[in-house]
Amino acid sequence: MDKTVDKNPKVAEKVSPAETILKEPGILREPVAAPLVTYPIEVVIPKARQQTPAVGQRATRLDGRLHGLGQTGYIDDMTFPGMLYAKIRRAGVASARIKSIDTKEAEAMPGVMAVLTGKDVPNNSFGPSIKDQPVLAYERVFHAGDGVVAIAAVTEQIAAEACEKVKIEYELFTPVLDPLESLKLETPGVHAPSANIYQKKFIKKGDIEKGFAMSDHIVEGHFTTQMVEHVPLEPHATIAMWDANGRLTVYSTLGRITLGRADLASTLGIPISRVRIVATIVGGNFGGKNEITTEPVLALLSKKTGRPVKSVFTRPDEFIASTTRHPLIMDYKTGVTKDGRIQARKLRLVLDGGAYCSWSETTLSKACILSAGPYNIENLYAEAYVVYTNKTMTGAMRGFGAPQVCFAYESHMDDIATLLNMDPLDIRLINAFHEGSISPTGQKLQSVVVKESLLRAAERFGWNGKGSTAGGSKVLPKEITSGTTVRV
Amino acid sequence: MLTVTLKVNGESRTASVPPETTLLRMLRDQLGLTGSKLGCDVGDCGACTVIVDGKPVNSCLMLAMQAEGREVLTIEGLATMDRVHPIQRAFEDCASLQCGFCGPGVIMSAKALLDEIPDPTIAQIRDALGGNLCRCTGYVKMIEAIQIAARSMRGEQMEANR
Amino acid sequence: MKKRGRGMACMWYPIGFTVAANPSSAVVKLDEDGTATLLTGTVETGQGSLTILAQIVAQELGISTDDVNVVSADTDSTPMDTGAIASRTTYVTGNAARLAAEKVKLMLFDVVAPLLNVKPNQLEAKDHRIVVKGFPQRNMHIGDAANHARTVTGEPPIGSASFNPATVALDPETGQGKPFGTYVYATQIAEVEVDDETGDVEVLRIVASHDCGTPINPMLVEGQVEGGISMGVGFALQEEILFNANGVQINPNLTNYIMPTSLDMPEVEVDIVDNYDPSGPFGAKGVGEPTLVPTAACILNAIYNAVGVRITSLPATAEKVFNAIQAKRNAEPKQITA
Repeated sequence: MDKTVDKNPKVAEKVSPAETILKEPGILREPVAAPLVTYPIEVVIPKARQQTPAVGQRATRLDGRLHGLGQTGYIDDMTFPGMLYAKIRRAGVASARIKSIDTKEAEAMPGVMAVLTGKDVPNNSFGPSIKDQPVLAYERVFHAGDGVVAIAAVTEQIAAEACEKVKIEYELFTPVLDPLESLKLETPGVHAPSANIYQKKFIKKGDIEKGFAMSDHIVEGHFTTQMVEHVPLEPHATIAMWDANGRLTVYSTLGRITLGRADLASTLGIPISRVRIVATIVGGNFGGKNEITTEPVLALLSKKTGRPVKSVFTRPDEFIASTTRHPLIMDYKTGVTKDGRIQARKLRLVLDGGAYCSWSETTLSKACILSAGPYNIENLYAEAYVVYTNKTMTGAMRGFGAPQVCFAYESHMDDIATLLNMDPLDIRLINAFHEGSISPTGQKLQSVVVKESLLRAAERFGWNGKGSTAGGSKVLPKEITSGTTVRV
Repeated sequence: MLTVTLKVNGESRTASVPPETTLLRMLRDQLGLTGSKLGCDVGDCGACTVIVDGKPVNSCLMLAMQAEGREVLTIEGLATMDRVHPIQRAFEDCASLQCGFCGPGVIMSAKALLDEIPDPTIAQIRDALGGNLCRCTGYVKMIEAIQIAARSMRGEQMEANR
Repeated sequence: MKKRGRGMACMWYPIGFTVAANPSSAVVKLDEDGTATLLTGTVETGQGSLTILAQIVAQELGISTDDVNVVSADTDSTPMDTGAIASRTTYVTGNAARLAAEKVKLMLFDVVAPLLNVKPNQLEAKDHRIVVKGFPQRNMHIGDAANHARTVTGEPPIGSASFNPATVALDPETGQGKPFGTYVYATQIAEVEVDDETGDVEVLRIVASHDCGTPINPMLVEGQVEGGISMGVGFALQEEILFNANGVQINPNLTNYIMPTSLDMPEVEVDIVDNYDPSGPFGAKGVGEPTLVPTAACILNAIYNAVGVRITSLPATAEKVFNAIQAKRNAEPKQITA
């Protein structure tokens, strides 16, 4: 297919606002940047910043003043001469084969300067562990947020309108949406021929059956968590430009610029020394801005047009086209003696791994390692799986699986406490790690302060050791007696 | 194209914009006042909050032409060459802002509150910030800073009244 | 009727990447008046890492936080950094920064020692001075020392260093190994009020006791805990991305994706546990992610304490809580034994 860009774009007789004003009579002033108050306002250095020793000081942040003045330069605040704006047309369907892409009408729109599809990308795949993510989906769409066509135009509005004019024909497939369905071997692979279970982790410690045999009570719990998004106040933003020596500069909200630079070099097929990434102060990341998104696309659009190109995610883009938190399905089974000591714990985690791997491997590992909780458990079996689905890609989000498993193991712990009629604080103190405890992976732990944190929090709160007596009658947890599950 | 003339931060400003342009876009793109931020463009997050004729407004929900002839105060209009505004000072001292993106919107909401209620309760402060989303801070140090700024502003008012 | 309840949750969380190498490099340059510049590839995303790194470098050189200028996040001019991820910046990048500053300090000691007639290992850096240990009156201002190094000795102090936590790969069958350099621990306790006629849950108060090793800047630690708790409240009670049967998101906007506002936040009390980890810079570990890990758990435990229902799927929306309360009420008569 033809890789050339329109050499003579039909640019509308679009005159920049500044020029319009100069042309119109009666308007005397060109809009210039407001006389911003810069410095030196009150160069008073707060005491804590001047103290030695520095560690332990409640030093104010240097960017605090700039933030408060509204002077922090985020990427969307930056403009460059001749800058274009890019928008990305997203699939809107969760699982499909792309039959055809017709960009003729979009290209003919006045003000459209360049159009890009997946075939224009030198190496159209990347990913922190499994390289299963395309820069722009070309043959297959794996989730509704997949970008298919990118358009650069003289204004954001024209770029957005041009995106609507692109005609894409899909052959739709039934999307796989339930991770438990995806776990079954007979379900067609989302990324066939690769299996749906794209990673697994196991922890085996001691003898789980012996542990259960030694227990007075065995309790089960089933817990699930939902997909959530980082919602950084600042949406993803990027500006890309080249210089005459073929050197690319990218301003981006990327949190991992060393990795980003390597990814840009590989997707564009250029040496790393030709890539520069500058990340200004970012308006919140929380894990969602840790891999490239539009950077290669903007670099290619900039190359095609010879002009800097900027793209800022809309708020809906943030939800559908950037990573989210893995939903987890967690099953726990714990054996305890009647005095509250955990003898054995068996658990299974299933992670909804979304359309692409992204940071799922890390999340799987962390979730599995942390899943038993900060407790001394001699007999442990943990298995964890991450599966593909045709939902929004799940990736790194503050905690990497820990908030999900903590919800499970701490709810489970309280269920056990209720069954044994024990104070939630006491049962935790009995089982918690101490200095030198051995972790589920056999690591000797140092600087351990679980019990200290429990006691300090309890004292500050006024826990009073009264136990769970409020709230009247309760629904009791599931206990297993003699091989059958009985609702106590 | 429409011509819009209004007062921004005490100064008369004019710009020529397409009719569907929002006040936010006009401030940022035409007038170079990038302190007000674009977080969602549909009035959900409050990052674009400015004060129009004394009232806090999501500038992404107001058309530029609706601001014709009005007085707009943006974050850029709070500090002077001599000093930062007490709210800005308190926010800095209390480390109330982390990534800072929601900051200008929050500070303008705070300013609108303190202009109307110089001695607000915590509930009133929470209410005033209710339309400003923040993902980093949990709002705790913002509420603290607004109380400190309120005290400081009342102190100054007393000085001025003497 | 409104019922109150309380619940606790404790947790552990690792610092740094799982097994994989995740180094950070740093460069420290000393200016000829004793102020310094730190070059770091890390990206400030709001958590305050640049301030923390300045404090660490300042501590090592015996100068103040304000004396350190931090330059960051430019692949052309700052050394590599694996990234502000996995709560690793204070620990890994902090260690790299401290080691780089230490190299600068030792270069300076080499220059100053003959001037004060001592051996380099008899010197220490504190309060803007290079001081002979035990004899504080014998000292040289760090500015004078730096100036001498550059203009007389001809050795401008500059140091670069890397740090990577020591790990051992996990066995694929048993998972045994040493995946992380260190961990942090915390407990959060929540007090909630549940309206048993609507299922609405209000979180009144959360006490959070967090370990972060040495708190380099307690004010910024508090900020992280408060922010993490707000994310945890959202995770527990409000936030959810919903899909239709075709796999398309129904609520990709902030009107219908509910997250905490200032009106949803509880009163937060932050307590920093006294601790010191020798493998971290000046005993510090990290705190960015741990802050939201136990929040949902303690809130859900508090709901159980208040109204006796165990919600096992997040978020615990009013609808879910109300339905669970109804289900419990309907089941009750059957459980009364004569």
